[in-house]
Amino acid sequence: MSFEPRILGILCNWCSYAGADLAGTSRIHYPPNIRVIRVMCSARVDPTFVVKALVSGADGVLICGCHPGDCHYSEGNYKTMRRIPLLKKVLTDLGIEDERVRLEWISASEGQRFADIVKDMTERIRALGPSRISAELDVDPREK
Amino acid sequence: MESRECKIGVYICNCGTNIAKVVDCEAVREYISELPQVAIARTYKYMCSNPGQELIIQDIKEQGLDRVVVAACSPRMHERTFRAALQTAGLNPYMFEMANIREQCSWVHDDPQAATEKAKALTQAAVFRVAYHEALEQMMVDMCPNTLVIGAGIAGLTAALELADAGQKVYLLDKQDHLGGNLARVDLTAPYLDSARDLLTERITRVKTSDNIELLLNSRLQELKGYVGNFSATLVSVDSDDTEENKAQKIEVGNVIVCTGYKEFPAERVTHFGYGKLPNVITSFDFEKMLRAGRIECKDGEIPNYVAIIHCVGSRSPEYHGYCSRVCCMTALKYVHEIKSAIPSCYVSDLYIDMHAFGKGHEDFYRRTSEVKTMFLMFGKGDHPIIRSAGPKDDCQMLIEVNEQLSGEVIEIPADLVILMVGMEAREDATETARLVNISQDKDGWFIESHPKLDPVATTTDGIYIAGTCVAPKDIPDTVAQARAAAGRILAKIAKGKIAVDAIYAEINEDSCSGCRICNELCPYSAIEFDDEKKRSHVLSVMCKACGACVAACPSGAIKGRHFTDQQMFAQIEGVLR
Repeated sequence: MSFEPRILGILCNWCSYAGADLAGTSRIHYPPNIRVIRVMCSARVDPTFVVKALVSGADGVLICGCHPGDCHYSEGNYKTMRRIPLLKKVLTDLGIEDERVRLEWISASEGQRFADIVKDMTERIRALGPSRISAELDVDPREK
Repeated sequence: MESRECKIGVYICNCGTNIAKVVDCEAVREYISELPQVAIARTYKYMCSNPGQELIIQDIKEQGLDRVVVAACSPRMHERTFRAALQTAGLNPYMFEMANIREQCSWVHDDPQAATEKAKALTQAAVFRVAYHEALEQMMVDMCPNTLVIGAGIAGLTAALELADAGQKVYLLDKQDHLGGNLARVDLTAPYLDSARDLLTERITRVKTSDNIELLLNSRLQELKGYVGNFSATLVSVDSDDTEENKAQKIEVGNVIVCTGYKEFPAERVTHFGYGKLPNVITSFDFEKMLRAGRIECKDGEIPNYVAIIHCVGSRSPEYHGYCSRVCCMTALKYVHEIKSAIPSCYVSDLYIDMHAFGKGHEDFYRRTSEVKTMFLMFGKGDHPIIRSAGPKDDCQMLIEVNEQLSGEVIEIPADLVILMVGMEAREDATETARLVNISQDKDGWFIESHPKLDPVATTTDGIYIAGTCVAPKDIPDTVAQARAAAGRILAKIAKGKIAVDAIYAEINEDSCSGCRICNELCPYSAIEFDDEKKRSHVLSVMCKACGACVAACPSGAIKGRHFTDQQMFAQIEGVLR
């Protein structure tokens, strides 16, 4: 059986989540590998959310916020823009490939862009294979 | 995850066939009903319907549910609806979570098995999360009865009068030095050929004499702070730069209506019609100017014998704007009548792609226009007419070659004057306006409604309303309807006197706070204060907009983002990945 990655999407409510919803109302299809949770602002994305996702079996984490300058909270995404690269540096030091954590800006009108990014990320992570952590877990979490 | 004692009701919506045709809702129900905290799991055809909501209310009352999950459409669609249902049943509205299995599942995936597995995960995540939800109390704040109306075109004038007539104070702001907006540039209106000036004059007079309306012309919004019911707006003169604070006027308002209108598509962007090169190729707005001046003439002052009107300039084209500008077809027909009435011998050709006559009275108007001997010529999208200067032997200024669709023939027609029906586009300052009042724009720059069908004049920011052509191209009746709707929404809120603000905000646990003050600088709303005596920070909850930036940044983990707590987020992450 081919490897189907599990990707967690953490989307800001105002731009990116609305953009993902627009992909839905526009019936733009993308791979089902992404599963989305919502935060009010990408600045709420605590680095531990990403770590938590990776140890819970995610093969990738996609964080999306409003385009710079467009944040509903004026400047939250600038904080995200600084935070996530720092986290990625730590994660790569720990042997987690850079591509597994991705930060993208998606506006409320960019349904197509959301679908394209999900498609691209799914393909890249499928090529990369399971994350070290999710492979090591290798237990049925329901038996935990 | 530790197990929490709770009784969760889970409701999986079929949404007719919208969800059920891809997701096996019954399989989701079976899977979910086995989770230990789930007391009851049901599927239903339309959860948002009255019987659907009743189902939840009854189960809460009879089964003693203490938390509810609905797996259905986007929470942006119906979270409020279901929260209200919980409240009706006597349960705190925040003991609710939605799983988005329509917009982000059934509508975007076609493999039923994968979609069903994903729907299970999304619903499970909601169950795990809701187990950690806490009852939150909403705060009631005063509603300032004053309203700021931005833009004094037909929408702004109408909204301002609606509010002022009800006895409420209105600040009516416009960047220009006069009232009336784009409509003041128009002569007659379609389809009844009544004068735009007449429509405006009565309103302008009443606005100018109203005791409740303060006019602020030549002015713009510089800053908007606060939240619904309690905004503070800074207004400045259009010529002042941002540093001249002395000239700024501060006003307190409870709500804002944005009716900033449109700008016309710049015809010079379309090079193939020779606008700017051929002297007698003009835009519809150039023509309105002629009509208002009372003389239709060519550049050399001669009365035209032949006038050609070309539709969809800048509209319905992949190169410029993909959308239809809605008003141009009827405006073109209006020109036919105005030309025929001014110059009865004039020969008028109307070159169109499709004739959009969708509104009330529009088809009749189209028929009446055909009766006044207009030459209608249909051209194909992307196969535009070609205009060239006529030769010395021709009795006209220009010749237009059209590949006419209905006859299938290439036809050449004479023209002395060519009118390009330019569409509407978002104003250049729309982005700045959107940022100032914190609303979003769509891909074409139009402002985005809270819901395109069910909530067309509200936005995602509470207390900010939109009306007229800043939302999308529309005609006068639709614009006026929106303006009145926005004013009506605000009057209803003012009538209540108080307004409930979201119970979601950040809280600092003073026992864990180290007083490092990292959060103080981070907050874009200056909602975090430092207590110099206690050496601790605390959040002014009314000012907090719950972005969560401070929550994620606190090195001591002392800040709790209500309704987005670490525990809740972790539980959701675990649930979605299982």
